[in-house]
Parts: sequence; C-alpha cells; structure tokens
Amino acid sequence: MHIPSYDELTPPIPDISARETFAGVAGLWPASPAERARAAEAGGGPVAPAYACLRSTRSVQTAVAIARDFSPRIERHGAASVVLDVSGLGRLVGDGHAIAAELERAAGAAGGIRIAVAPSQTAARLLAIARFGPSVVTTNVAAAVADLPIAALRQLLEESCQHPSAPLSTRQHPSAPFIEVFARWGLKRLGEMAALPPADLSERMGQEGLALQRLARGADSAPLVPDPGVPRFLQSMELEWPIDALEPLSFVLARLLDPLSLALERADRGAAAIRLDLRLVDRTTHARLLQLPAAMRDARVLRTLLLLDLESHPPPAGIDIVTIEVDPAPARIVQYSLLERALPSHESLATLTARLGALVGERRRGSPVLADSECPDGFELEAFNPNRSAGARRSRGPFDSAAFRPRSGQVVLRRFRPPIAVRVIVERGRPVHVAIDRRGMPGGRVEQAAGPWRTSGAWWTHGDGRWDRDEWDVALCDESLCRLFRDRITERWFMDGILD
Amino acid sequence: MTMGHTARADIESLLRARKLDVTLTSAVPWTRTLHDPAPAGIGAIDAALGGGLPRGQLSEIVGPRSSGRTLVCHRVLASAAERGEAVALIDASDRFDPASAAAAGVDLTKLLWVRDTGDAARALKALNLVLQAGGFGIVVLDVADIPSPALRRFPHTTWMRIARVIEGSQTVALLVGGGRTGRSPAGVTIALDAAPGASRGRWSGPSDRARLLAGIDITPRVIGSQLPIPNAQLPRTLDFGV
Repeated sequence: MHIPSYDELTPPIPDISARETFAGVAGLWPASPAERARAAEAGGGPVAPAYACLRSTRSVQTAVAIARDFSPRIERHGAASVVLDVSGLGRLVGDGHAIAAELERAAGAAGGIRIAVAPSQTAARLLAIARFGPSVVTTNVAAAVADLPIAALRQLLEESCQHPSAPLSTRQHPSAPFIEVFARWGLKRLGEMAALPPADLSERMGQEGLALQRLARGADSAPLVPDPGVPRFLQSMELEWPIDALEPLSFVLARLLDPLSLALERADRGAAAIRLDLRLVDRTTHARLLQLPAAMRDARVLRTLLLLDLESHPPPAGIDIVTIEVDPAPARIVQYSLLERALPSHESLATLTARLGALVGERRRGSPVLADSECPDGFELEAFNPNRSAGARRSRGPFDSAAFRPRSGQVVLRRFRPPIAVRVIVERGRPVHVAIDRRGMPGGRVEQAAGPWRTSGAWWTHGDGRWDRDEWDVALCDESLCRLFRDRITERWFMDGILD
Repeated sequence: MTMGHTARADIESLLRARKLDVTLTSAVPWTRTLHDPAPAGIGAIDAALGGGLPRGQLSEIVGPRSSGRTLVCHRVLASAAERGEAVALIDASDRFDPASAAAAGVDLTKLLWVRDTGDAARALKALNLVLQAGGFGIVVLDVADIPSPALRRFPHTTWMRIARVIEGSQTVALLVGGGRTGRSPAGVTIALDAAPGASRGRWSGPSDRARLLAGIDITPRVIGSQLPIPNAQLPRTLDFGV
C-alpha cells in the first residue's frame, strides 16, 4: 500500500513574490519606479511615468511649490530644476499626458516653467533642459533622449553640482571634462553616445565613461532623495472637563506653548503668526489668529499675547479642545550694540501694544502717519515699530500739510476732537468776541486775530469727509491763543484747539 | 562721560529691563554720574539743567494754557527721536496733533501715541505699562487738560511708584500739566510762567489783514534740588517764532 507523502498531497507553491502575484493578477500593485525605469530602458512596452521634472527659468520656489502640491517626494537639482515622484498619480490623474497637462495647468499662471514626464529622473531632467514644451515619455527612454544635444547632459551635470541655495556655484562635475572628449570625437547627440561599444568606451574612459553613457541612455545614477517637507508646528489638547475661564486656560496654553517653543528653537524658526482654535462645548470652534510683528518663540510672550487677545475676544462657551498652530518663519538674528541706544525688543513691544490695546482700545495706540491730504486732523495710526526707519514708511504724497502751513510760526496745536462749537461775534469780517458754554474753556474778547485761511476738500464725496472752512488764529483777553474756524457748509463757528 | 560709562549704563539698563538686575555684581549705588542726561533740545533750558533732563527720574513741564508747554514737550520728543531713541506719549485727553508735532521736528516713526479720552486713572495705567516695558528714552504723560481735582485724587505715592519703576533706567518720565503734580526727588520742574497781562503770542504784519501769528514767547523757570542753580529763572524770554 502506498501512503502518499505530505509533499504529494499538497500542491506545489510557485516561487513568486506577493508583489508579482498582485501585479500579474489584478494590476493593483504597481512596480517600483526603479523597476519601471529599467523596463523602459530595456525598450519594453508602454510604462507608466514615474518622475516629472519642473524647470523654472524665473523662480525655482514657484516650481517647488507646484511640485509639493502634486507629490510629497520632491528633490531639487541646482537652482532651476525640481524632480517629483508621480508614480502614485496614475490612478488619481491618469497617464503621463494627463499628469503633464495637470502640471502645465498648475504652472500656467506662473509662466516660464518647462515640464517633462518620464519613467526616469534623468530622462525627465534632460527633456526639461533641452525642450521647451511639455514632454512625455512612456516607452523607451533611450530613444526619447537620443536626439537631444550633448550640451543638455553637460547642463545636467553642472546642475547636479550646484547646491539649491547657491545658484551661482561654479563648481565643476568630475565627469564634465569627458563631455568635451565626446565633442572632440565628433559626437553631437546623446543617441550617438549611447551607441558607443561599452567595452571600448570603458577601455578609453573607464567607469566615468560608462556612467556618462548610462546617463545618455536616460538611466538614473541614484534614487530620488526627497527634500524634507515643511514641518508643522501644532499642539493640541483635549480637556477632561470644559474650561470656561482664562486663568485655568493659561496653564493649558503654557503646556502647549512650551513644546512648541522648543520645537521652533530646534528648527531655528520663530512664530510669524499663531492660530488658536478652541473647540467649545456647543460644538462650535472659536478661532483666533494673531499676526506677530516679528518672528518670536518666547513661550511666555506668546501665552501673554494669546491671553490678552482672549480677554478682548472671549469664547462664548466652555472649552473642550485647545489647538495651537504656529506659522513658522526664519528666526531673527539680533546683534545688540554697545554704542547705540537700545530700543524696545519686538517681544516686549508686542506684549506692550497688546496690553495697551486691551486697556484703551485697539485703534487708540500706535504710531501716527500723516494722511496724504490737506484735511484737518488727517492721520492714521500704524503699528509702532521704532526699528523701522522713517524712509521705510509709505510716501505721504505731494501734499505735506505740516510744511504747507506758512501762516504761523512754531506753535503747537492742542486739538479738540471733535471741535467745540462756540459763539463768535464778527465785526467787519473779523471775530471780536468768543463765547463758549463749557466751563474752564477759553473765551472773551479777541485781542488779536490772524486770518482767514480758507481750506476745502473732498467736495466730490458729498459725505462726512467733505470740509470747507475759514480758519483764524486768535489771542483772547484771558491770554489764550486759539484756533477758530467757520464751517462754510453749516455757517457755524468752532474752536479747533488751543495753540500752546 | 566716557564711552565706557555709557556702555555700562546701557548693559545695566538692559538687565533691569529683563528683570535680571539681581545678576549685577557691582554693589556701587546708582549715581547720576553714570547717566548722560537727555537734552531737551532747547539750549537755554539744557544749560540750566546741566545738560538735559535727568534719566531715570520723573520730571514735569508745567504752565498755564498757551504758555508753550506743549511746544517744549515736542522739542524734547524731537530731540530724543533725533538721537534714535523710542519715545512714547500717553495723551490723557487726546489733544496731540501729529501735523504740529511733525512740524516741530518729531520723528513720528519713533513715537508711540496712546490716546485716552480723559480718564486719568487709565492714562496712569498706560504710563505704567509703557515704563515697565522699558527701552523708551522719553515717556510723556500729558494731563494738561485733566482737571486739577481729578489729579489731586491720586495719592502722592502714585508718583513715587512711577519714579521707582524707572529708577536706574535710561528713561525720562515727563509729566505735562497745568500745575505742579509730582516729580521724583532728583527730577526737575520746567515751569513756564508769563508776566501778568503780557501777550504770549508774537504777531507780525502791519495791518489786520496782513497779520500773522509769528510765534510764541515762553518764559521758563527750572526748578530742581540737584541743579547747579536750584531755582533758575532763565535770563531771557525764549522765542520760538519763525
């Protein structure tokens, strides 16, 4: 009696990997980019694109931003090219032509960006260097780059030597001199380089020659090394019990801001803006965004600013979840001088202006800027920044109301806001007596008067900004010097201020 | 005043601003010789003050209406801003006119203007915040249009506390008011008086129609316990006309 062995009872197991099984049966597991590049180099059938290259002639930052929108795996080459891994976009966008069309649409507004999509990085970079329009390669990469000039390969080698942050680098690639040798041999196209016998090429140029020939065939010499993405500085905490007061919230903010500050310090970054999201018990979100005057990362300063802002804009309900996200910016390098007067730091100024804003109002503190107008009391308030020079401010335009006032010497006006209505007796066109109903205000007989000076403006608005008035500088019998004006629209007299 | 003293004063001021003054190892008591005064920008007043307003002290400019107190204040602010210092004005009654200040030479980019609506207590809080922040050369509290009874409601220790905040720093705190309110023991008072019946305005022009307010005449008197002349009546009337 024959008793079958275990091997006879069990079917044979094919010696294939799961990747090949899934790829062969369902087509769900795509081959790796390197595998597809090898297949394309071998001249097989159509291969899905694996890499795209964006080459910008203006700003590589724009190309980098577009590349990051399409793929998290990008690598910069030199100061002009960005290669991105598009191997996962096939099911989402489509074939190589569709990916190139999407990239072209994204780059349309920026302009000046060349696009190439190919199964290998080298082919994509060579095509982006040598051709203007979008180039798509889905089959044999060696054939696709065969008619490109050798100068494109020289450019590719030079860019490989350049650091992205040093676009003016003149360092030469070690293989660059061999390109000149190929040129002296009379070779002009990459296809002619690729057709050279490898054994003879190795005998004359060694491994460098073979490496150049592989590049001329569109093969990659190294895998894509992704640039590290922009880290996200975010901290969140879900509370066991809702918080409905600022004092306990300050402790939560401190716990969130301390690690954020540490992370910013390690990354040599500062916070340009802080976004605070408070998830409330009524399932709404109370969001606040603080734009900081300068990049800073002091946790105490940031917490104070958030608390002061929440004092002015308190959440309407208890807080369940606290989330803080920081927009990073390059950190400031501050060099103090022993010979110059120390100015308030950005951190102390930010805290001070926030405290003053909570005390007197957001619009009642800052640095005054004269308006580009002859309008009386025309000014705006800007954020106070003593480190900024006067020339850095925006121009006041052709009108200079301070300079265009020749009628008085160096006297200073203490302006009433709004002007105070007065009763004025006028004789022969000149004010001779001023009466005012408020106690403690100047009034009485006019001893001296200079005027009138007529100003008008904004008559085209027909609104509140319109003014038309005759101004007088008068000395009253109580030794006060005042500025009066007659509003020619309402025919009423007002006291504009005291000259002091 | 040597450069070394200036540098040392700046470093110690920075340490105090950052609450690190306990790290100061020198047990030498603070003396005025370590500080350079803040010139007021008016030669006669600076000469009477021995160089300028004392830093780290609370001083005041007082005078009646139209006596030129605001003009002197603007000169002080302009002089400080010209030296590159940051200046602040706590305007208790919102009387500041930026156009006049710019005409007087104040660099508005260096000026922090805090506008209040007549609440003296709130203005004092704002003054305290600015002084505690540190780093300002001149900080002015303008209470000239605050009624005297409202100012007298503050206890005298209020001004002592303000003087204590800036003690040893490079900041000059300056009160602008109608009458004497408060100053620190080493501070000064610039009193702008006028002869009774004398007109302060200086007028020009031969006729009514051609008349101009050409300037303002002020008569300052400098009062202080540590001045070369403790109660100095300046010898002449200062003319601020064109």
